[in-house]
Amino acid sequence: MGDLEGYRGQSLTALEAAGVSIGDFLSLEVDGQSVMGTLAPRYAHDDDSHIVIKLKSGYNVGLSVAKVTKVSRLAKGERPSFTSSNPKTRGDLLEVAILGTGGTIASRVEYRTGAVQPAISSEDLYSLIPELSDIARIRTEVILTVASEDLEPEHWGKMAEKVAERVAEGARGVVVTTGTDVMGYTSAALAFALQGVPVPVFVVGSQRSSDRPSSDAYLNLIGAVTLAVAAEFAGVYLVMHADSSDELLAIHRATRVRKNHASARDAFESIGIPPEGYWTRKGPELISKSLPPRARAEKFVPKPLFDPNVALVKFYPSMPTSLLEAQLASGLKGLIIEGTGLGHVNRKNIAVIQRFIAGGGLAFMTSQCIWGRVDLNVYANGRDLLQAGVVPLEDMLAETALVKLMWTISNTASAKEAEGLMRKNLAGEVTERSFPSGQTA
Amino acid sequence: MSVNALDLSKCDLKVGIEVHQQLATGTKLFCSCPPMKSEELPLSFERRLRPSQSELGRIDAAAVFEFNKGRVNLYRWNPESSCLVDADEEPPHPISAAALETVILISEILGARIIDEIHVMRKIVIDGSNTTGFQRTAVVGLGGSLAYGDGKSVGVQSTTVEEDAARALGEDARARQYALDRLGVPLVEIALEPIPDSPEGVERAALQLGRALRSTGRVARGLGTIRQDLNVSVKGGEVVEVKGVQKLNLIAKVVRYEATRQMGLLQVAAEAKNRSPNGVSSRVKDVTETLKTPASPVLKKVVQRDGARIFCASADALAGLLGFEPYPGIRVGKELGEIARTNGLGGVIHSDEFRKQGVTEAEDSALRAQMGVGKDAALVLVAGEEGRASTVAVLVKERLEAVPRGVLRETRAATEDGETRFLRPRPGAARMYPETDIPDIVVSPELVARMGLSLPVPWEQKVRSYSEKYSLSGEMAVQLYDSDKADLFENLAAKSKLDSSVIASILVELPARLAREGVEEMSIDGSLLSSVVLGLDRGLFAKEGAYDVLRTLGKGEVKTVEDAVSRLGIASMDDVEVERIVSEVVERNHTLVAERGERAFSVLMGEAMKLARGKADGGKVSAMIRRKMQEAGSPKQGDGGSA
Repeated sequence: MGDLEGYRGQSLTALEAAGVSIGDFLSLEVDGQSVMGTLAPRYAHDDDSHIVIKLKSGYNVGLSVAKVTKVSRLAKGERPSFTSSNPKTRGDLLEVAILGTGGTIASRVEYRTGAVQPAISSEDLYSLIPELSDIARIRTEVILTVASEDLEPEHWGKMAEKVAERVAEGARGVVVTTGTDVMGYTSAALAFALQGVPVPVFVVGSQRSSDRPSSDAYLNLIGAVTLAVAAEFAGVYLVMHADSSDELLAIHRATRVRKNHASARDAFESIGIPPEGYWTRKGPELISKSLPPRARAEKFVPKPLFDPNVALVKFYPSMPTSLLEAQLASGLKGLIIEGTGLGHVNRKNIAVIQRFIAGGGLAFMTSQCIWGRVDLNVYANGRDLLQAGVVPLEDMLAETALVKLMWTISNTASAKEAEGLMRKNLAGEVTERSFPSGQTA
Repeated sequence: MSVNALDLSKCDLKVGIEVHQQLATGTKLFCSCPPMKSEELPLSFERRLRPSQSELGRIDAAAVFEFNKGRVNLYRWNPESSCLVDADEEPPHPISAAALETVILISEILGARIIDEIHVMRKIVIDGSNTTGFQRTAVVGLGGSLAYGDGKSVGVQSTTVEEDAARALGEDARARQYALDRLGVPLVEIALEPIPDSPEGVERAALQLGRALRSTGRVARGLGTIRQDLNVSVKGGEVVEVKGVQKLNLIAKVVRYEATRQMGLLQVAAEAKNRSPNGVSSRVKDVTETLKTPASPVLKKVVQRDGARIFCASADALAGLLGFEPYPGIRVGKELGEIARTNGLGGVIHSDEFRKQGVTEAEDSALRAQMGVGKDAALVLVAGEEGRASTVAVLVKERLEAVPRGVLRETRAATEDGETRFLRPRPGAARMYPETDIPDIVVSPELVARMGLSLPVPWEQKVRSYSEKYSLSGEMAVQLYDSDKADLFENLAAKSKLDSSVIASILVELPARLAREGVEEMSIDGSLLSSVVLGLDRGLFAKEGAYDVLRTLGKGEVKTVEDAVSRLGIASMDDVEVERIVSEVVERNHTLVAERGERAFSVLMGEAMKLARGKADGGKVSAMIRRKMQEAGSPKQGDGGSA
């Protein structure tokens, strides 16, 4: 925390003139009365005309700089620091690696000034979630500090490499904590990059911030770590709340999961298939009978490369050709289209796509309906798209298709080979049979 | 009760009041749900709250206490009164402008300084009453003062706007249940400076504050819409927070009880320190084997259950002090029982009541041998499911070690009979941090000025005007104000030719009398009252019959005043009938009248009214009796009984 973090303009000038810092106990003269309290930090987007004081009662109040006639320091504040209790690590437990990638899975609150700080070291996690020390030996590392929406394909590569490193070092399982906004993309990316991974890898996050006592972060993390130890299966999965209660977590297949709610705990849903299983307080309950078993670690090699020159375009009524043309002109190698219904776009755009394919580009069709399967044989529009060279991707999720195409282009030598791989079911991203929502064969 | 034996004026009693009043806004504070009570709660979910850690690795004592109870929270809700914001599944919406304005208005009434930039805070509360684990709250005004009669006044610390907690539905060993309908309803909280006054003075301050709030016309009414928390301290003790006094007229009683409890504990502490100047040492052991077949019927019942254990906490030097009552009903043993009950056990058995609870001499000796303590030690037995009982035993041990400290910093709940019971250790001050989901709110000077111009007429002035304009007694005018029926009163006074005090009495006194009889106040609404007043005005019945008419209507036995009158058979008598009754009574008592003269009047009046059975106006009857008595020939003064 800086000395006057967040202050700028007139409020910064006034505080600098008084020679005070955040955490100092101050007395401010306002309209002839004095207001006493601790100088609190200000946040981005706050204006420059107020000073925030934390009263003895714990409340923050903002005082207009224009009304403050005098600022005096009554006591110098100590720089806030966090200390952690020494965790007991039990040698008899197996090691689980936790990789932090920017989402805040755990936080601590510095109540004196009201600042919230992320907590990710093993010690932090042990002291915040003491149960963990009875489940596994935790080895944590922050490998990225990137907001969910700022993630780039190269970050997925880095995650995959780190997972492989930990696996090689003997981790029983790996937990990747990440922001939830693009978690479906991230889990799919890891599924492609870590094909054949010999241990389970669980991608987790939290929908309600970890600085609140009600956060879902704790249970998601406890569940993922427990599964990393107990699961007899390998592969990449996304683990989050199955419903609003803190009792049940769903284990989703990494390539068939989607964030379907902006804020609720059970935002993630398996699409077209039920979850592979559930985490309960009594242990895992599997639904799928065909999860790959754990394997020996020696032979595992990740494929962490992703080519970002790929676009995902959602078609909408009246979409002009200029949009696609601009995309394609930027040196794009591949295109995932989210068409309407069975996989359609308007006629004028078919011509643009056709030119792109003729020039060596790869174009694939998915459906914006989320549930269901594309079929380009039913309507004339679809047949035109097929003739233009567009490849239908069955019931693959558009987001998964995008990530798969990035990975495929990096891992093939020719467009023809890439198209072949895109049609192949590599990590459970396509199902062969469709069922009503929630049903299974 | 002889608790009054304690002279509170010598205790340095100080009481701070926090009043929480629901606001009458159309929506909750941070979402658009309507504030309403849901009878059906078809949806539910379960959550566990976890204390968040502060700097220095410290977790708030109160938060840890709640967490250790290990219970899940079961929330039940209905979409008619709650949404995903209440379920903590969606971020809060912007603060209700109506609620914020109301609290600014209230701050201005109290003469507070309005905060320039309001910061909504998260106040950690992990008893489960908030789905988030915190209450959203913001200081709107600082300072100000409240006059509470006899020239006394008390300073206002702060005026805040905050969200109400979920409605508790009860709890069992596994889960605490809450309804979400009340969660998020806007409240104004006013914290007064500690009042160095008698319990009655404190009660009066709360009463006056409530009246000032109601003068805005923007606060909710009815049971549970206003709650008082009290911070009570006496000389040499700690501040104890007493939560949830729902009835104003309980405040003085609660303060008196709590002050007595604190003085009592200090007395026990002094004796403990006297016996053991270096502190009380206590330990806990599992004594299930020693008490395998307990003689005590209570213990016998508990150990029959699967997995039940008995733990014993011993405390050196405290023998005799757990059952000792410095004041009636005040003893350490009761405090230990409260700890057990708060944690889902039935209670504890301590050595000062071993015989009473059926623990034998031999068992006592065996326990002391196992614990390694002598006759001077106090023993406390805790029995129940192993996890719970061992937790409680440790809490009991901690409580015993704290006996020499006297009063502990704790949060207690007010009971319906005016006592207080242990809830949890008192939270530290450091449990607030900013609600980052809501941007800070800059209060414009224009809004402050606009609210300043719409200040309501002070309630004292309103009361004075009723009393002057309608010649009501001061007391009746205040009752009228408190009843919220002043507008109805003014309306009826203008419409009818009845005496104002008769109208006021029907509006204010009769519903209160009926409430005492168990007729719900809810069923006696404004339209019912006005139909009774107007019926009386039309001469359908005599004013003496108003109570019975209202009761019949209030119980729902009939629909209209006319039906009530005919059901009761109290249609007003005409003058001829009244005269007939009066003549009969005077005649029957002519000897009495002859003997006692004027002094016979009350006997005659009583008999006549009884015969009239509420059908005749008392004024009319009395005038007629006096006339008849004179006609009967009033004898000379001084005659009769002076011999």
